[in-house]
Amino acid sequence: MATIAVPLGAEAEGHEAEAVQRPALSEYLRWSVDHKIIGVQYGVASFLFFIIGGAMAMLIRLELWTPDLDLMVSGAAYNSLFTIHGTIMIFLFIIPMWAAFGNFVVPLQLGAKDMAFPWLNAFAFWLIPPAAIVVLLGYFVNPAEAGWTSYPPLSTLFSGDGQTLWALGAHLLGISSIMGSINFIVTIFNMRPPQMTLWRMPLLCWAVLATSIIAVMATPFLAGALTLLLLDRVAGTTFFDAAGGGDVLLWQNIFWFYSHPAVYIMVLPGMGVLSEVLSVHSRKPVFGYRMVGLSSMGIAFVGFTVWAHHMFTSLQPELRIPFMITTMIIAVPTGIKMFSWLGTIWGGKIRFTSAMLFALGFMSMFVIGGITGVMLAALPFDIHVHDTYFVVSHFHFVLFGGSVFAIYAALYHWFPKVTGRMMNERLGRIHFAFTYFGFLFTFFPMHIVGMLGMPRRVAVYDPAFAPWNQLISFSAFVLGFSTFIVIYNIIRSYYHGPVAGANPWRALTLEWATTSPPPVTNFADDPIPFEDPYGYGTEASAAYLDAVDAAFDGRGGPDG
Amino acid sequence: MTSAIARQEKPKIGLDRDAALRLKNNRLGMTIFQASWIMVFLAMIVVNWQLRFSYAQWPPAGVAPFDPLLPSIATLALLLSAAFVRQGWGSLRSGKLGDFLSSWRLALALGGAFMAIIVYEFMTVSEAALATQYGVTLRLMTGFHVVHALAISAVMLRVYRGARSGAYSGGEHEAWAVEGTAKLWYFVAVAWILFYVVLYWIR
Amino acid sequence: MEDNRSNIPSISPAAIVVAAVFLLVSVIGINWFTTFVPVVLPPQASAESKSVDELFYILVVIGGVVFFLIQGMLLISVIFFRARGEDRSDGPTYHGNPLLELVWTIVPSLVVVFLAVISFNVWSQNSEPKAAVNMINGEEIVIRVTGARYAWTHVYETGRLDPDGDPIVINSGDTLHTYIGQNVDLELRTQDVIHSYWVPAMRVKQDLLPGNPATGGRLTEIRFTPIRVEGTQYPAEYPIVCAELCGDGHGRMRGTVVVHEDESQFLEQFYEPAIHTILNPPADPVLRGEIVIQEYVCHSCHVLDSLGWTNPIGPSLNGIADRAGERVPGQSAEEYIVTSVWDAAAFVVPGYNEQMAQFGPDQPDNYQMDAEQLYSIVAYLCTQGEQSDCDNENSTTAIPEAIKAVFGLEVDITFGQGDGEAETSKSDGDAGDANTNQEDGSA
Repeated sequence: MATIAVPLGAEAEGHEAEAVQRPALSEYLRWSVDHKIIGVQYGVASFLFFIIGGAMAMLIRLELWTPDLDLMVSGAAYNSLFTIHGTIMIFLFIIPMWAAFGNFVVPLQLGAKDMAFPWLNAFAFWLIPPAAIVVLLGYFVNPAEAGWTSYPPLSTLFSGDGQTLWALGAHLLGISSIMGSINFIVTIFNMRPPQMTLWRMPLLCWAVLATSIIAVMATPFLAGALTLLLLDRVAGTTFFDAAGGGDVLLWQNIFWFYSHPAVYIMVLPGMGVLSEVLSVHSRKPVFGYRMVGLSSMGIAFVGFTVWAHHMFTSLQPELRIPFMITTMIIAVPTGIKMFSWLGTIWGGKIRFTSAMLFALGFMSMFVIGGITGVMLAALPFDIHVHDTYFVVSHFHFVLFGGSVFAIYAALYHWFPKVTGRMMNERLGRIHFAFTYFGFLFTFFPMHIVGMLGMPRRVAVYDPAFAPWNQLISFSAFVLGFSTFIVIYNIIRSYYHGPVAGANPWRALTLEWATTSPPPVTNFADDPIPFEDPYGYGTEASAAYLDAVDAAFDGRGGPDG
Repeated sequence: MTSAIARQEKPKIGLDRDAALRLKNNRLGMTIFQASWIMVFLAMIVVNWQLRFSYAQWPPAGVAPFDPLLPSIATLALLLSAAFVRQGWGSLRSGKLGDFLSSWRLALALGGAFMAIIVYEFMTVSEAALATQYGVTLRLMTGFHVVHALAISAVMLRVYRGARSGAYSGGEHEAWAVEGTAKLWYFVAVAWILFYVVLYWIR
Repeated sequence: MEDNRSNIPSISPAAIVVAAVFLLVSVIGINWFTTFVPVVLPPQASAESKSVDELFYILVVIGGVVFFLIQGMLLISVIFFRARGEDRSDGPTYHGNPLLELVWTIVPSLVVVFLAVISFNVWSQNSEPKAAVNMINGEEIVIRVTGARYAWTHVYETGRLDPDGDPIVINSGDTLHTYIGQNVDLELRTQDVIHSYWVPAMRVKQDLLPGNPATGGRLTEIRFTPIRVEGTQYPAEYPIVCAELCGDGHGRMRGTVVVHEDESQFLEQFYEPAIHTILNPPADPVLRGEIVIQEYVCHSCHVLDSLGWTNPIGPSLNGIADRAGERVPGQSAEEYIVTSVWDAAAFVVPGYNEQMAQFGPDQPDNYQMDAEQLYSIVAYLCTQGEQSDCDNENSTTAIPEAIKAVFGLEVDITFGQGDGEAETSKSDGDAGDANTNQEDGSA
C-alpha cells in the first residue's frame, strides 16, 4: 500500500527547480490572471488596509484614554472613525485576506494549474481598490458615521453623503466576494486530481468550501439591503422610514442575515488554517478529520439560522427564544473543532515555530470568544450586555483572537512557499509574545467595563471606567507596536531570509510538492497527492517526504 | 467573459481535456451563480413580506389591488420565451442552425413583449398605491427584475447575431455561450415566477 | 491506513500529576472568580438583576470549566509533547477515536440544552407582565419615556386634573423617579433614530424603535422592579445609558434612575412637589423659563454653566444675551433668540452645523413648544450675560413683540392655566443636581 507517490514533473524538473525566479515586483502591480500573483495582490492590499484600520484603532484607543472628548473634534468624528475602522477590518482586511490565502494555497493544494476562472479571479480582486477608494472618499464629504452596521434611520435620514459612498463601496466588495467564492467552489469541486476524493481533501479546502458556500448564499442579501439603503438615501423611497410605511427592523433582518454568516466567512478559513498548521507542526494527523470537515459545514448551515440574536433588544420578545436556541447550537460544532485540535496536538511532537505559536494562540484566545458567545446567546444575560463593551470584546476575541491569529499563523506557514524565503523565527516569537499579551490585556478587560455599564461606540464615558480604559489603551498600543515587528520581519525576510526549499515544514499536502515559489504552471504535470494529507508518522509518509526533498534538490528549511 | 478566459489561459497540455474541464467549470459556475443571485430576489421578497406587517391589511386601505391580467400574459410570454430558448439550444446541439435562429427570434420577441408589459406595469402604478409600500415594492421588484431581463436579453441578442454569422457551429464546447445565455434566461423566468406569485397572488 | 502502533498516545505519570494540579487550580480559579463577580457587575438594584446574575454565575462556572480544561490541555501539550532537542521524528499516526468524538459532541449538546432551559426560565420569569404597575397612591399611572437625540425625557401622566380640567403631566427630564417595590413599566418611544434604554443596575435594556408618527409612533416597553441594595443611602441613583448608536452625542445621552426608599418618600420628595409647582407656576417669566428650558432636550447639546450643562455639540449658551444683539444685522437681541429657538437654521453660528432640532407648536411630543413657553425660555436666556443686549426692563412687552414680529403669534403673558398638556413643569431639584454631578468629571 505504501506506494511512494511523487509529483510526476518533479523528477524531470529537479534541476531546473533551482532556476524558478520570484515574479518581479512590477508583476504585482498590474492585471494578472495567475492565481499566485492575485493571491499576493490580495494579501498585500489587505495587509495595507489592516495597517490603516489598525492605525484607526490606535486613534480610537487614544481618544478613550480619557472619559472626555479630547482627540476628536466631535462625537461625529469619533463615530466615523470606528465606522471606517470596522468597515476596513471586515470588508477590506479579513475577508480579502482569506481570499489571498485561498487563492494562493487552494489551487496548489488541489494540484491544479490555476483557479477555475482566472479572469474572473483577477476581476474580483481589481474591484477591491476602487471600492476602498470609494469608501475612503467619504472623508472628503461627510464620512459614514452610523457604525459598520449602518442602522437606519441614523444611516438614512441623519447621515452625510459619506454614507452613500460607504454603501456603494460595500456593494462592490460584496460583489467581489461573491465572484471570488463562486470561483473557489468550482475550483474545489472540479479541479481536484482524480486520486483526491472529497474525504482526502486538505482541511483548508474544506473550510474555504464552507466559507464560499456561505458567501454565495448570504452576500446577495447584503446586496439587497444596500440597494434599499441607497434607494432610501438617493431616490426618496421609504423602506426604512416608518413615516412612509417602512420598517427599521427590515434593515436589521436583512443586514444580519448576511452579516452573521459573514462572521463565519471571516473565521472558518482560519479554522482550516489551524487544522493544517497544527497537524504539520505537531507531526500528527488531524484528529477526527471527517468531523472537522463536517463541522465546518455544520457551522455554515446553522450560521444561517441565528441572525436575529443581534436584535435581542429590538426584536419582538416572543421571537427571541428560538434564536437563542439556534445560537447556542453553534457551540457544538465549534466545540468539536476545538477538541479535535487538542486531540491533534496531544501526544504529538510539537515544533514551536512561529506559525505553531500563533495557531496555539488562536486556540487559547478563540476559546474565550466561544465561551462569551454562549454567554451572549443566553438571552437574559445578553439583554444586560447587548451593545456594550462586552460585545466588543467578544467579537474581537473571535475576529482578532481567531481570524487574525490564524492569518499570522498562515503567514508564517506559507510565507516560504510564496517567496521562497523563510521568515525569521526569533522575530516571529517576539511578535507572538507582543501580540498575545497585548491582545489579551486589550480585550479581556473590555468584558468587565461592558458588564459594569459602558456601552459601545461612545467617545464620552463615565469617568469611573477611566482606569480600565487606560489599561485597555496601553495594551492596545503594545498590540499596535507588535505589527511593526511583523512588517519588519516580512520585508527583511523577503530579501534576506534563508532560502526555504520546496518543503521546509516536511508537510504532506500538495502545495509543498513543488518549488518555492512555484513555477507559473504550478506543477510540471499532474501531481499525485499522498494518500492521506495528514498521514504523518508512517514510513510511507516519510518516504514520500524524502522523495519530495530529493526531487527538489533536498534543500529543507531550518526544520528539515 | 468566456472568450476572455480563453484568451488569458496559459499554454496548456491536452486541449481536449482542458476544454472539457472548462465546460464543466462553466456549468457548475453557472449553477452556483444562479443559486447565489436568486438570493437577492428572495431578499426582495422578504422586503415585500415584512413591509406588509406595517399595514393593517394588504393591499393597504384605500389602494386598489393590482390587476393580475396583464402580468399573467407577460408571465406566459416569458415562459414561452424560455421554452423557445431551450428548443433553440437543442436544435443548435443537433446542428440545426436554422431552427435555432427561428426559435431564438421568437424567444426574443416574446421576451420583448414581457419586458414591455412589465415596464408598462412599472409606469402605471396608481398614485394611491405609490403612497404606500404596496406600490413602492412593486416598483422595486419589477424594476429590479426588468434590469436583469434587459441585460440578459441584450446578451441573447448578441449570441443570436453571433450564431447567425456562424460562430457556434462546432458542437457542445464552442456553444457554451448559447448554453450559458439560455440558462441565464431560465433564471430570469424563475425569478419572475417568484415575484409574480408574491406581487399578484399572495394577499 | 491504520497504523498498528499503540492507539492511545502515551501519557506519562507526570502528565497525570499536572492534570490533577490543573484541575485543582481551575476549581480554585473559578471559586476566586465567582467571589469577583460583584466587582464586575453593577449593584443588583432590581428583582430581575438577581436571576440574571444567577444565570451569569452558572455561565461563568460552566465557561470557567471549559476555559481551564482547554487552556490546561494546551499547557500540558505544550510542556509534554514538544519535540525535544534534535528529535526530528513524527508523532503517532493516530486518526481519531469515534467514541471520544461522540463524547465531545454529546456532552456539549447536553450542556447547551441545559443552558437553553435555564435561560428560558429566567427569561420567562423576567418578561412576564406584572399585575400592578406604576402604582402611585394606589393607582396605576402611565409613565412615558421619549428618546431624542441626545436626551431622555420622562413624563408621568398623573391622572389628576388641574382646576381648569386639564390633565396634570409631570415632566422630570432625564430622571426617572421610582421607589423600592414599585413595578415599573415604561412606555418607550423615540422621536428620531433608534435609541436603547439601558439601566445597568437593573439589568434591563430595550430599543426604542422609530414608528409612524401618524399612528403615535412605535411602542416598546421595559419592566423592572427596584429592590433594596444593602448599604445604600436612599434615595439612590443609578445611571441610564443609551446603548444604541444615535449620532454625535450618543455617549452623552445619559440619565438617572432615582430609587426612593418607599412610596411615601417618593411622594414627599418628588411627586407632590412636582404637582404643586405645576399648579402654582412662578409668576416671574425668568423663573418660569428656567423650569421650562429644562423640560426640553436643550441640555444634550449646549453648554450653560448656570444650569450645569456641559455638552458642546451646539454653540455655548453662556453669555448668549451679550452676543444676541450683534449676530444678525437688523435683528434685536430678543428677535434673534426667538428665531434661534424655533428656527435654528435661520442663522447657524460659524463653526457649527445645521443639526438642531425643530421646536414649535406643531412639532411632536417633546419638541412641541407653544408661544408662551417660548416667551418664558427667551426671558430666561435674556438673563444669561453680563450686560444683556435684551431690554430686560420691559421684557413683558419686548419679547412678545419679538415673537409677533418673527412668527406672527400673539402671546398670552398672563399665563392662564388653559394651555393644555404643554403646561408641564419640572420641579425636581435632584435631576438637575444629578446631571451636574455626572458631568463634573468631564467639565
